[in-house]
This record gives sequence, structure tokens and C-alpha cells, in this order.
Amino acid sequence: MMQLAGALLVMFAGTMIGYLQSVRFAARPRQIRQLLHALQRLETEIQYGQTPLPQALARLAAIVPAPVSGLFGSISSELAKQPGSTVRDSWERAMREGWTLTAMKQPERDAMIRLGATLGASGREDQIKHVRLTMHQLQAEESAAREEQLKYEKMCRSLGMLGAALVVILML
Amino acid sequence: MAHQLPELFAAPLRSVLERLPPPVGASLEEIRIRENRPLEIGYAGGFGFVRPDGSITSDPRTAYVPGREDCRALLERLTNHSIYAAEEELRRGFVTINGGHRVGLAGRVVLERGAVAHLRNVSGFNVRIARARIGCAAAVLPGLLDLRARTIRHTLILSPPQQGKTTLLRDLVRSISSGDWRAPAAADWKGRKVGVVDERSEIAACDDGVPTFDLGPRCDVLDGCPKAEGIMMLIRSMSPEVIAVDEIGRKEDAEALMEALHAGVRVLATAHAAGLDDLFARPVLSGLAASGVFGAFVLLSRVGSQVVHRIVPAEQALREMKSRPLPVIRSPAGQEARSS
Repeated sequence: MMQLAGALLVMFAGTMIGYLQSVRFAARPRQIRQLLHALQRLETEIQYGQTPLPQALARLAAIVPAPVSGLFGSISSELAKQPGSTVRDSWERAMREGWTLTAMKQPERDAMIRLGATLGASGREDQIKHVRLTMHQLQAEESAAREEQLKYEKMCRSLGMLGAALVVILML
Repeated sequence: MAHQLPELFAAPLRSVLERLPPPVGASLEEIRIRENRPLEIGYAGGFGFVRPDGSITSDPRTAYVPGREDCRALLERLTNHSIYAAEEELRRGFVTINGGHRVGLAGRVVLERGAVAHLRNVSGFNVRIARARIGCAAAVLPGLLDLRARTIRHTLILSPPQQGKTTLLRDLVRSISSGDWRAPAAADWKGRKVGVVDERSEIAACDDGVPTFDLGPRCDVLDGCPKAEGIMMLIRSMSPEVIAVDEIGRKEDAEALMEALHAGVRVLATAHAAGLDDLFARPVLSGLAASGVFGAFVLLSRVGSQVVHRIVPAEQALREMKSRPLPVIRSPAGQEARSS
């Protein structure tokens, strides 16, 4: 009886581990896409609205869903509240701290941090160029992430279950 | 120290400025920040350099030297972290911040087809602190009254930079719109409707369109509007009795002023000029002055921290000018040379 309960638990845990891994693989391209949408909006805010950066970032936070919106929201509130804060520092801090809550990986983060170092610090046309450059990099990462998703998403799910089955067999 | 000001500066610079001795802080007029050069302040009509501990010195070698990071952070705060949104201000060379303080900028100018496109590598800042001196117009206003028309005469306030033109104009506007005439002959006059064209947001220091300085109850402000267009807009839409504008000098300004002068509106304006000589030497202003439209000129000058004024009625100014037929060109050493 105890053996059966233990085996069920192991099966459940293994399946869940595999499932969660596969969810991360599926979430990464989706979140990169959301980031791309946000940057596209930022481009419009800079080009046509000439919206000051704190307001523009607050608007971005409002249009993208949860883990990604937190990145922009925290920068915007920090810039508005703390005198003497600079975009570069707040941006880098927000990206480093908020990134762990997302499913995205290091290459995307590095591209975003590079953008933060120039954002707000030059004229309109220059800003647009930087935002576009970052969007190109993110697009490349997005297609890589999609390939990974195709390759590993299903594999993770079945691997989790099969691994758990192997443990159960060895236990019995 | 003016309240909002320290928020403009990032940590090292802010701590230096916060340690200024209180009497200096109270009479502060300018803070001049130049990258990799000594920090200078102007106060009580004089100037001094600031040591890292906040004390004032006349020796620039011991002064605090703001670095590249100080300037970068300051520019970021000035433009609300968005240089791309402040390109127009950078083209004009100054930014007006909350509280009506104007920050002049110097750096490398970028040209586009021969015209100034914007500034980059901004390395020089001049923070000019705006102060409301309520009551400073009390001595001037009685001299400007037009008793027959029960209002003020067309008036031009003249002085070199930093002598208190805008401060005086602001208090004149407040006095006129609140009916604080300070003259026995005008004791029963009411306040007049005043329209202010505040191109540089210095007179009213509007925050979201609402003046933060006291300009009296009967005052309308067009904030950030070019003077020439603003004057016409006000005449058409706001039925002002008096129009106040700061720093006229371009041809369009003069044309719009002529329009206002002949629309039954009284005009209160300021211009940069050291005296009547300068006024009649400046091409646009001399035309305006010589046509006899202004009823009075107010000349400002400063002795220490005291502002002294002289009111010259227009007839006297014209007489003074006619008695001196040739324009005078002054050399830097102060000798006068007659132009041929």
C-alpha cells in the first residue's frame, strides 16, 4: 500500500517537473513577443508622442501582461519618485531583478540592458535607431526560442513522466 | 535654498549645494555648472566659487569641480529623462523647470542646413533662480499710470540681463490684475484683466497650465506660446485690458505689439538694453520707440542686491535721443568712439 502511494507521488512529481519545464519553453517566445510589442509602442511614443520616458514606460507597463509589465513599471516608478536616479541605473537594476520572474534568458536581457544605456540620452532619430536595433536582436532570439520550443517542449513533458516511471520501476 | 531645486541635482553635487551657508542660499541667483570646471554661484549681486564643503571662495582652484556624471545626470533630470522630447528646448538653448527657474545650456551646436538643429554634449548649465518679490512694483507702478484713461501707459521695461526685469514684470502684472495700484489717484480703480504671453514659462511658471506664481485674480496666461502669435490670440479670444510680454526684440514681436497697441489694449513689455542709447541702437526696438507708441520707459539697474529704477516718459526719452544725433559705439575699455 505504502509502496503504491510512494510510486504515485514520484510519478506525480516527475510529471509536474517535466510539465513546468515545458511551460517555460513555451513561455519564452511568448514573452519575447510581448517585449517586442512593448518596444514597438515605445518607438511610437518617442517618434510621434514625444512622451517623456517615465510616462511612456508607465504606458508600456499597462499594455503588456504580468511578468513583462513589471519590468517597465518598476523603472517608471523609480524615475518618478527618486530624485537623482538615472535611466541607465534604474533600467539595469529593474532588468536584473525582474528578469528571474520571466521565462526569458540572458541574450534577451543583455540586449535590453544595452538599450537602457542609451535610452533618453539622445535625439529622436537616434533613439528610434537604438530601439529598432534592439527589436532586431529580440526577433532573432524569438525565432531561436521558437525552435527550442518545438524541439524541447514535448520532450520535456514526456521525459518528466518517463523519468518518474524509471524511478518507480527501480524502486519496486 | 529654493525648495524644489536640489532635486535637480544628483548626489555629489546636491550635497555640495545643500551645504551652502544659509544667507547665501537665501540670496542665491544663479548656479553655474560647467563640466570639469569650478562650480560657480551668483548671489546677492556678486559671485563666488563653491568648495566641496559648501563654503564660498574667490579662488577657483579650491572649488568643487563637477564631472561628466554630474552633468549627464543633471541634463537627464532637466529633460525628464527624455532628451528626444526636449529637442525644441535644446534648440533654443534653455529649459524652464517647475517653479519658473530657467536653465540656460551651452554645448556643441548641431547645425542642419545652416540653422541650429539642437545641442549635444551639453557641458555648461546656468540655473537661474526665479523668485517672486511681492511688492517690488509698488514704487514703479504709480509712475506708469494714465490717469485720464484710468489704466497704465504703454510701458517698456529695459535693463541688461539679470537685473530683475521679469521679477518686476511679474509683480506689475499681479498689482494690476488685483487692483493694488499703490497710488492715491487710483484708490477707487478696480483690477484690470491682464493677458500674459509667457513664452519661456518664466513669468507665471505654469504647472499644467496653472500659474504657480501669484499673478492676481484677473490674469490669463498663455504658457509656452510664441509672443507674436500669443498676443494676437489673446486679443482675439481673451479680451485683455493689459497685455504683458517678456523680452521682445524680434520683428514679429514688434508687429504684433503694434497690432495690440492699436487694438485698445495697454502693453507691458520688457527688453534687453542697458539704457536708452541701446534701445535706440537696436533695429526693431528703435523703430517701436521712435514711433512714439510707448508712453514710458522703466530703466533698471542694480547696486549690490538693490534694484534701482528710473521712469522716463516717452517725450523726454525722444528729446534725449534727438539731442544726440550720432549713435555711440563703445569699445570694451569704455572709451567712446564716434561712428562715421
